[in-house]
Amino acid sequence: MASAHAAPASEATNGNKPFLVALFGDEHALIEATSAARTGGLPIHDCYTPYPVHGLDAAMGLKRSWLPYIAFCYGTFGLLLAISLQVHTQYVDFVPLWKGWPIIIGGKPFLSWPAFVPVFFELTVLCTGHLTVLTYLIYRRLLPGMKPKISVPGVTDDKFALALDPAAVGFDEGRARALFADHGAVEVLTVEGR
Amino acid sequence: MSATVSHLREPLVMGGKPRLADITNAIVAPMENKPSGLWWAAFIPAVTLFVAGFTTIGYQISEGIGTWGLNKTVGWGWDITNFVWWVGIGHAGTAISAILFLFRQKWRTAINRSAEAMTILAVICAALFPFIHMGRPWFGWWWFAPLPNMRGPLWVNFRSPLLWDFFAISTYFSISCVFWYFGLLPDLATFRDRTKKKLQKQIYGILSFGWTGSNRDWSHYEIVYTILAALAAPLVLSVHTIVSMDFATSVIPGWHTTIFPPYFVAGALFSGFAMVLTLLVIARKTQKLEHIIAESHVDNMAKVVLATGMLVGLAYSTEFLIGWYSGSNYEGFIFFSNRAVGPYAWAYWTMISCNVISPQIFWWAPMRRNMVVVFIMSIFVNIGMWFERFVIIVTSLHRDYLPSSWSMYSPTWVEILEFGGTLGFFFTAYLLFVRFLPTVSIAEVKMVSAWAQRDSHGHGSHGHATASGPGAMGLHPTPAAPKEEVLHG
Repeated sequence: MASAHAAPASEATNGNKPFLVALFGDEHALIEATSAARTGGLPIHDCYTPYPVHGLDAAMGLKRSWLPYIAFCYGTFGLLLAISLQVHTQYVDFVPLWKGWPIIIGGKPFLSWPAFVPVFFELTVLCTGHLTVLTYLIYRRLLPGMKPKISVPGVTDDKFALALDPAAVGFDEGRARALFADHGAVEVLTVEGR
Repeated sequence: MSATVSHLREPLVMGGKPRLADITNAIVAPMENKPSGLWWAAFIPAVTLFVAGFTTIGYQISEGIGTWGLNKTVGWGWDITNFVWWVGIGHAGTAISAILFLFRQKWRTAINRSAEAMTILAVICAALFPFIHMGRPWFGWWWFAPLPNMRGPLWVNFRSPLLWDFFAISTYFSISCVFWYFGLLPDLATFRDRTKKKLQKQIYGILSFGWTGSNRDWSHYEIVYTILAALAAPLVLSVHTIVSMDFATSVIPGWHTTIFPPYFVAGALFSGFAMVLTLLVIARKTQKLEHIIAESHVDNMAKVVLATGMLVGLAYSTEFLIGWYSGSNYEGFIFFSNRAVGPYAWAYWTMISCNVISPQIFWWAPMRRNMVVVFIMSIFVNIGMWFERFVIIVTSLHRDYLPSSWSMYSPTWVEILEFGGTLGFFFTAYLLFVRFLPTVSIAEVKMVSAWAQRDSHGHGSHGHATASGPGAMGLHPTPAAPKEEVLHG
């Protein structure tokens, strides 16, 4: 298990040195090796897996995603948008150039807010969903046509990879290879990446 | 915390312990092989129907709504019937992908991808009908969308359920697309890394957004996926609730009932699960995915069909109870004299026999696993639910307050072909989906299969999962990492 003192994995890379990558045959070996690498002070660049491996975030020392907070902000924005849209068009007309004629419909008051609730809900969901996904994709640089930052063979199929950064402080190839062997790496290779 | 996969339950992926690569191979096989004769046999009629139907839509738009069988009394006919029916079908996809995800129902992994694709296609078919029933759809924007305009401006009416519907359906459609595509990303990358063909590699390379399988990506990805599921779950309930309000907020007997929202949602899930069954019973056979879309999954869906079928049955009987108990002449007339024994009684009793009576066969376990029975039943339910919408719409309208304007309604060939056209579009697009995209979520199936394997190893000493397994030969067992995360059950 990763000790609390070990530094979390860092994504920053320096230099063009290819990463030292170990491939494992199952998620368990990967978690063990990652924990051990982190405790041993080896600079972890990233791990690559065919599916989300639970426990790996802790092993790498990753914090919980901040995206839920921003999703909440987007939701609030969507709600405010829906409120202002409906209050403006049905009640007060506060946008100067868009002024209109509030219309009496079925004798209902202009600010018949319970009738506005469905659109409050829909626009909240619309903004939260789209903007959160967009934020994720831009933040992780996952956009249409993007070239993969790194191509580790087999990780989208059945391999579990641990990539160490040889350019980072604390890297020691001998120790790294020993650790890989200890944890039963199927293959060790160097992979170019950004 | 211990592993929670029960040994009394059937495994989610059948056939012993498949290696992860076997799962990839099985799921992408239809994308790599040439389409079978069966595929063409389904595709050609579907495309024909699609083209015929959409040509008819062109004819209807150029000629006008007069080409339909509507009249002064019956202003909504097949158009809105088809709309409600298709939207309802879409609901099962989101229910499977979002609601079952939030409830940690792992059997969903085998079916969620195709169910979501079905949702998107069904919503497209649904949205088409309100669009074309406007007659001159290009003017629809001024009625639907709050666009600034030069008439005052004159704004749309936010108190109208039809406007809520516009917001609900467009939100539902776009969020469903995002949810579906977001789930597809890792699997598109799997195919990109696997294919040897240059063009395919390029196309799937663009589509997979540069996915690398990085755990940093996965870490945020799972959170975003959960957020989307948490948004989609209430969204799907809101959509059919709002569709039901199109009727319930009017003052027409037979529509003006407070029971409509839950009744419509139950009906939507009912018809949607039936359509998922129709598609999957065929797909699992023709695509040789019987070990991934297992009998137990079909069994589970049949149980949902049974449960929701009885919910709509309860709604039908409640309507009758209120028709009598309210003492309202209009309510009593619409249900007893008009629906049950009136001129459309045949439609009413088709609905009852398809939706309430025939699903009772699913109380018998072997029937839930008999694919022929399940398939026939799913067709029955689809028919029954179409008639439910027809009964609600047409029988409430055709005998209105003024007996001199009572009339009957029957569709013209234009309406029939347009409905056929949406079926054609639905199956055309679904068959293309089956050819070009992974029909089952590869990453998720691997995840549940890995859980199952770990569970069988940790058996007897829960919490001490060891690093052994088919892919890790020669590993010496090491102590487990933090149990909570690893044995996420």
